[in-house]
Amino acid sequence: MRARVRASVVGGTAIRIEEDPEQAAQGEIPAFADIVREHQGMVFGLAYHFLHDRGLAEELAQEVFLELYRQLERIESPAHLVFWLRKVASRRCIDQIRRRSFWPKLRLDEVPEPATKTDGRDPMLSRALARLVASLPEKPRMVVILRYQEDLAPAEIAQVLGMPVATVKSHLQRSLDMLRDKLARAVGEIAI
Amino acid sequence: MSYLEEDLKRTLRRIEPSAGFAERVLERANAPAPPEPSWWESLGVLLRPPCVQWVALSLVISFMIPAAGVYRKERQTRAEGERAKQQLMFAVRVAGNKVHRVQQRVLEMGRMDTRI
Repeated sequence: MRARVRASVVGGTAIRIEEDPEQAAQGEIPAFADIVREHQGMVFGLAYHFLHDRGLAEELAQEVFLELYRQLERIESPAHLVFWLRKVASRRCIDQIRRRSFWPKLRLDEVPEPATKTDGRDPMLSRALARLVASLPEKPRMVVILRYQEDLAPAEIAQVLGMPVATVKSHLQRSLDMLRDKLARAVGEIAI
Repeated sequence: MSYLEEDLKRTLRRIEPSAGFAERVLERANAPAPPEPSWWESLGVLLRPPCVQWVALSLVISFMIPAAGVYRKERQTRAEGERAKQQLMFAVRVAGNKVHRVQQRVLEMGRMDTRI
């Protein structure tokens, strides 16, 4: 039988992880559930923006958390937990796309509506932008998502994706140039 | 930050999964782990329908490759034999013609001797 692990978030700043089979029955579920609830938006968001498929994104996010459940003993701090989740989610997203090389190209009308409210922004622009981000190659796409969803600096993105900072910067620059050009053509007279 | 970057930030916001996500993860996390398969069960995997097809296919291929080699070698040997046979027949025909010509010459010379 697998050793039970108890993890808990203490004051939002630390994680206490105990191997305690006796208390596991009561203690592990709420603690791990807290971690899932706290970070599900980040992991699901990364997967959804990358894959543009709610079902696949949910499956991938669940697998990331299940892997976390198995690896919980190795997590040293909340910062390490967030880094680990971003790294594993990013790699799994890229692997998923590579495994499905026959993945059909997204068309504008196939991009699903975001589950969140639009808060006054132009929904057409958002759809066009989401579609254009989805058309980027795998690594630049993940770089853009980490940069703008997670607000990470190039050095942090480089750590998560295991690539040189210069490569991250060049992916970002080229992606932004491409998005700017394509968006101007797609949307027309929009001041960018 | 440019307008494009602001738009990207708004478009690529964190998204919450559908309700009950954490519960679904926990359900999967607490599902009993599948028992380790014993050696005969691992062997039995080879006999399941998709595996049987692959095993049969690989057996057929592993038989066909040497068989094709043997067949090709045999065809090559037979072709070489045919070629040698043709050459021999040609040589025999040429030699036969020459012998015939020499024989005629000898006969002619014999007739000339009897006249003299």
